[in-house]
Amino acid sequence: MIDIELALRVFIVDDEPPARNRLRDLLNDCSEQLALEVVGEAGNGREALDKLAEIIADVVLLDIRMPQMDGIELAQHLNKLPKPPVVIFTTAYDAYAIKAFDLRVIDYLLKPIRLGRLFEALNRARLAVPVQTETLRELLPEPRKNLSIHERGKIHLIPIEQVLYLRAELKYITVRTAEREYLIEESLNALEKEFATRLVRIHRNSLIAKDAIAGFEKGGDEGESGWMVKLKGLDELLAISRRQQHIVREFSRS
Amino acid sequence: MNKAPSIRQNARQDGLPNFRNLGTLLRILIISNGLALMQAILLANSWTGVAQHMMQINTLLTPVLFSSLLLLWVAQPWLNRIAYRRGMVAVTGLVVALTLSIYYFGGELYRPPDSADGYFDLMRCGLLSAVVCGILLLYFRLRSRVLSRALSDARLQVLRARIRPHFLFNTINAVLGIVRAQPKQAETALEDMADLFRMAMSDADDLVPLGREIQLSKQYLALEQMRMGDRLRVDWQIRDVSDDVLIPPLLLQPLLENAVYHGIEPLSQGGSINVALRRNGDQLHLVVENPCPVRADVPHQGNLVALRNIRERLDLLFDVEASYHVESGKDFYRVEIIFPYVSRVKERPLP
Repeated sequence: MIDIELALRVFIVDDEPPARNRLRDLLNDCSEQLALEVVGEAGNGREALDKLAEIIADVVLLDIRMPQMDGIELAQHLNKLPKPPVVIFTTAYDAYAIKAFDLRVIDYLLKPIRLGRLFEALNRARLAVPVQTETLRELLPEPRKNLSIHERGKIHLIPIEQVLYLRAELKYITVRTAEREYLIEESLNALEKEFATRLVRIHRNSLIAKDAIAGFEKGGDEGESGWMVKLKGLDELLAISRRQQHIVREFSRS
Repeated sequence: MNKAPSIRQNARQDGLPNFRNLGTLLRILIISNGLALMQAILLANSWTGVAQHMMQINTLLTPVLFSSLLLLWVAQPWLNRIAYRRGMVAVTGLVVALTLSIYYFGGELYRPPDSADGYFDLMRCGLLSAVVCGILLLYFRLRSRVLSRALSDARLQVLRARIRPHFLFNTINAVLGIVRAQPKQAETALEDMADLFRMAMSDADDLVPLGREIQLSKQYLALEQMRMGDRLRVDWQIRDVSDDVLIPPLLLQPLLENAVYHGIEPLSQGGSINVALRRNGDQLHLVVENPCPVRADVPHQGNLVALRNIRERLDLLFDVEASYHVESGKDFYRVEIIFPYVSRVKERPLP
């Protein structure tokens, strides 16, 4: 069977212009033996997400250490794309974190990058499947800086500082910011664990941002006669369950 | 690498202390008075007796101390030039001679009226002053030995920091990235890198001219600018400072490296590092200030290693004459270092 080989679409993300240059040069060298095409590049995570909403890439070469959003967080957001690309990390020094993982799961290139190694990684990427989000989580024990949702073909980032509360509703979780609501598909327990320094649980189904607490009010229309919490910038009151009443004491003092 | 002459284990010869350093003077005053206090406690049989004996000892000790320190201050340049052994003999001889003459000319003040043997008393004072002087010289010798080991350790640490993989590999990668399109810039970058490594491995003197350190820092910044482009901006403000002022080597450059690594790199918009150098009387003020990402939690750990190293070296070189201040704000980091403005090459900086 003769198959017309499709060119591998490669996207480059690195905050350093010379490093992007280097990758372009090397990819150019590879293209003599391997059908590939550089479809774009970006200098930071946000720019990458914006561009990849419009361009389809098969492989993303992704620098790990970048300002604001590192490569590992970006890779998690990229997984929300309708057709997630295969990620190959590039790094100068923190490979020890990745080495623990099987090469079949996560591929990485050490800077300075060698042509042979890049070629090998691209060949492998043809057969590879995108890295699982859970695997990426394990790599980066730090909490993410953004939540992401896939909406109308585009990935929206919600900076975690803007989140006022999270409320579990049937299948989804409502993410409330001062402006609007979003729906994400994650587990409330996992989110509580990940953002333990920012968020606090007030109810079986809700987490609120500690910084956003404006005050507490007695009352309750659900007959719970318990406390309600008021959040900065929101009119609605959220119920605090009986088991979580202690947070009224903890937070009203400060 | 171990054999490299640059990182000598015994980099410093024994030497006399710098009698023009405030720290040295304070140490001499404290130790000699401490010895006097011990003698007073031995002689006395009550607490008021201790005070009386102390006063009695001090009538001789204080004039001897101050006149010796004054003469040693004057003789410092000459003492720097002669061998350690001869210097030791000269200092002891000077102190003993001063003691004897002050005792002799002090007349009734020092001679107890009931003392039968004036000759014994004279000899005793001379002998005691020689012993105290010997103890002090021994102390300074031991101290400088301990310190010189710490100095070579410091150099090793600086070297290790220089070979920080982050800097090394990213820079090599960046040079590879520009070598095809801009071979000239790539050449300069490699030369700058070689200079940085040479400096870290160098057999430099205790102090280097400021101009050299500034040049090295600018080479370092050029390398970082190659990688980061206009995200990294540097504002130099040098006032009333000449290029041949002497400063400890690798003082400014590691501070800049910290500012870049912890301050500018994590900011997506980058920022400006402010470097200010100015002379204030006989002191040199060095301030490095950089923006950094807003962080609610504890200040970054990474900074501490390099900063502690610099602080140790300043302690070793200038004792109490150097001061060091770090201000870690919510979105900025500021290091201020004040140390003596040393412009003569001859002077030995070690206390």
